[in-house]
Amino acid sequence: MRALVIEDDPHLRGQVTQMFADEGFAVDQAADGENGLYMATEYPVDIAIVDLGLPGTSGIDIIRKARKAGRSFPILILTARDGWQSKVEGLEAGADDYLVKPFHREELLARARALLRRSGGWAQPQLTCGPVTVDTTAKTVTVNERPVELTAYEFKVLEYLILHAGEVVSKSTLTEHLYAEEDERDSNVIEVFIRRLRTKIDPDGTLAPITTLRGSGYRWDLPRS
Amino acid sequence: MTSLRARLLAAASAVLAAFFVLTAAVLDGAFRDSTLQAQRDKLEGLVYSLLAAARTDANGDLTVEPNDISDRRLVQPASGLQAALFDEQARLVWTSAEFLEVPPPQMPGVGQWAFHQLRKPPVFSLSYGLRWIDLQDDPKRYTFVVLEDATSFERQLRTYRRELWLWLAAAAGGLLLVQYLVLRWGLAPVRRLVNELNAVERGERSEIHGSYPDELVSLTQGLNAMIRSERNQQTRYRNALGDLAHSLKTPLAVLFGMSEEPRVPEELRSPLREQVGHMQQITDYQLRKAATAGRRTLAEPIAPAPIAAKITQALTKVYADREVKFELSAPPQFRMRADNGDLFELFGNLLDNACKYGGGRIRIRISRDDQDNVIEVDDDGPGFPEEAQELLQRGVRADTQKPGQGIGLAAVYEIVKAYEGRIVLARSEWGGGRVTVRLPI
Repeated sequence: MRALVIEDDPHLRGQVTQMFADEGFAVDQAADGENGLYMATEYPVDIAIVDLGLPGTSGIDIIRKARKAGRSFPILILTARDGWQSKVEGLEAGADDYLVKPFHREELLARARALLRRSGGWAQPQLTCGPVTVDTTAKTVTVNERPVELTAYEFKVLEYLILHAGEVVSKSTLTEHLYAEEDERDSNVIEVFIRRLRTKIDPDGTLAPITTLRGSGYRWDLPRS
Repeated sequence: MTSLRARLLAAASAVLAAFFVLTAAVLDGAFRDSTLQAQRDKLEGLVYSLLAAARTDANGDLTVEPNDISDRRLVQPASGLQAALFDEQARLVWTSAEFLEVPPPQMPGVGQWAFHQLRKPPVFSLSYGLRWIDLQDDPKRYTFVVLEDATSFERQLRTYRRELWLWLAAAAGGLLLVQYLVLRWGLAPVRRLVNELNAVERGERSEIHGSYPDELVSLTQGLNAMIRSERNQQTRYRNALGDLAHSLKTPLAVLFGMSEEPRVPEELRSPLREQVGHMQQITDYQLRKAATAGRRTLAEPIAPAPIAAKITQALTKVYADREVKFELSAPPQFRMRADNGDLFELFGNLLDNACKYGGGRIRIRISRDDQDNVIEVDDDGPGFPEEAQELLQRGVRADTQKPGQGIGLAAVYEIVKAYEGRIVLARSEWGGGRVTVRLPI
C-alpha cells in the first residue's frame, strides 16, 4: 500500500511517515500544499493523510482538486482546529474521515486501515475469501484456519490483490503501490512473490486463487465470503 | 416627554395656542376700535344735525327746533337715541323726546369733543362744547350731549367675539390635527427603523434592509456596519483561536507521537504521555470555552436545519461502516438567533455521540415553544448511564472503549450554559439516549 503524508511540521511528518512505514506502507511525503497536490494527483496513492492547516495551498484545496482530477483514494484529514465547521468542510471537500491532533498512533493506523478496507468494499478488518482469511490488523493469513507464514512483501502483495479482488492488477501497479519512491523497483521480483504466495496459500493447487493474465497482470479470483 | 412625537406635538401646541390667543386679542381690539370709531362718527353727525336745528328762543337762550331735527329717532321716545343741551351752569336747556337718565354733564372746551362709553346705563355719550354767538353779540357757552344705547353694540361685539373664538378654535384644532398627521408621517421612518432593529434583535432579520430618508441613511448604514463588525469580530476571534489551536496542537501531536515511540524507554514514555494528555485536555477545554460565542444581542439569525443536515452528511461518510440513518425534522424557514460556529459544535458533538453509541438510527427534531428553541436528538443505543448528569459536568467518559462521549457532551454543556439554556438527558422511545437542549429565544 502506498500512503501519501502531507504535513508541514517536519517532526510530525517524520513521525506519521515512520508509523506508516512500520506498518509496511510505502510512504511519500510532502511538506507543503503545492508538492502535496502534485503528488496527490500524479502518484499511485492508496491513501492520503492530509493536514488541513498547510501553508500555501490549503488541505481543503488539495482534497478538492485531487477529487476534481478524478482521484478516488481514501483521504484522512488531520486537523488541529477541532471545530466541527472545519471537519465538515474537509469532509464535504471529499475527505473520508478526520482525526484531531494530537492522536494515538493506533487510532491513526486503525482509521487508515478501515478506510482502505472500506474503499475495497470490506466492512471487517478480516478479509475472507473462501478458506483464505487475511487479518489486516494483526497481519496474519490463515487458510482453512491454518496459519500461513508470509514475508512482509508477500503479505503486501496479497493484501493489495484481495483489496482489489476481481480487478486485473499489473506488475507495474503492484511495484508502484508497494515500494517507496527511492527503493529499487524490479518487476521480476513481483513474479517471485506471486509464485511464493501460490505455493504457500495453495500448496496442493486446488484453490487457484491468483490468475495470471499474460501481458496484463494478475487477478484475485476467490469470491468473498 | 420621552417620545419625540410628544415633544414635537407639545411644542407645536404651545406655539399654536400663543399664536391664536394673540391673534384673537389683536382682532378683538381692532374690531372694537373700529366699531367705537364708527359709533363716534355717527354721534358726531348727530351733533352736527342738532346744531343745524339749533335756534335762539325768545329769551335769547339756545334751543332745538324739533321739526328741524333730521334724525327722527330723537323725536320718538324709546328709540335708543337721546340728546340734551346744557348751558354754562350745566342746566338742562333742551332735551330730546326722551332723556331719562341724566348723566353728569361733560363740559368739554369750546369746539372739543368728549366721547365716553358708560357702563350704567350702557350708553355711548358724546359731548360737544360750543359758544353760541347770536345777533345780540352776547356769546354763551353750551354743551350738546348725545347718548346712544350701547346694548346693540355690546350684542354685536359679543356675537363677533363668539364667532371669532369659535373659528379660531376650529382652525387651531384643524391645524393640530394636521400637525399630528404630518408628525406621524414624518416620524414613520423612525418607527419603522425601530421595528426593524427589534426584528434584528429578535433574530428575525439579519440586517436593516428598508429604504430610509436621506437623514437616516447614514444612521442605518452605521447600524449595519456595527452589526456586521460584531459578527466579523466573532469570526476573526474564532479564526485567531483556530490558529492558536493549530500552533499548540501540532507540537502536542509530536510529543504525543514521541510518547508512543517504541525506541523511547518506557520510564520516559509514561510520564510524557501523562503530561501531554494533561496539556491536551487543558488546551481543548480552554479553547473550546473561548470559542463559544454564546448569546449575543445582534447575532445573525441562523437556520439550524441546514447545519444539522451538513453534519449528518459528514457523519454518514465517517460512519459509513455503520450505515447510520438520520431523520431530521424542523419547521419550514425555521431560524434561531445563535452563532453559526456554536450550532456546528452543538450538532456535531450531539450527533457524533449518537453515531458512536447508537445503533444506527438517529432522529433530530428542531422546534420552538413559548420560551425556548428546542433541539432533541434520539438514538437507539443503550442510552445514558445512571450518572449521566455528572457526565455533563465533567468530561467523564461514558465508555472508555469509545473515547469522547464525555468530552462531546461537556462541549455541548458549555455551549448550552453560554446560552443560558438547559440540557436534559433522558431515554428515547427506542430505548436509547435522548438529549434535549433548550436554548432561550
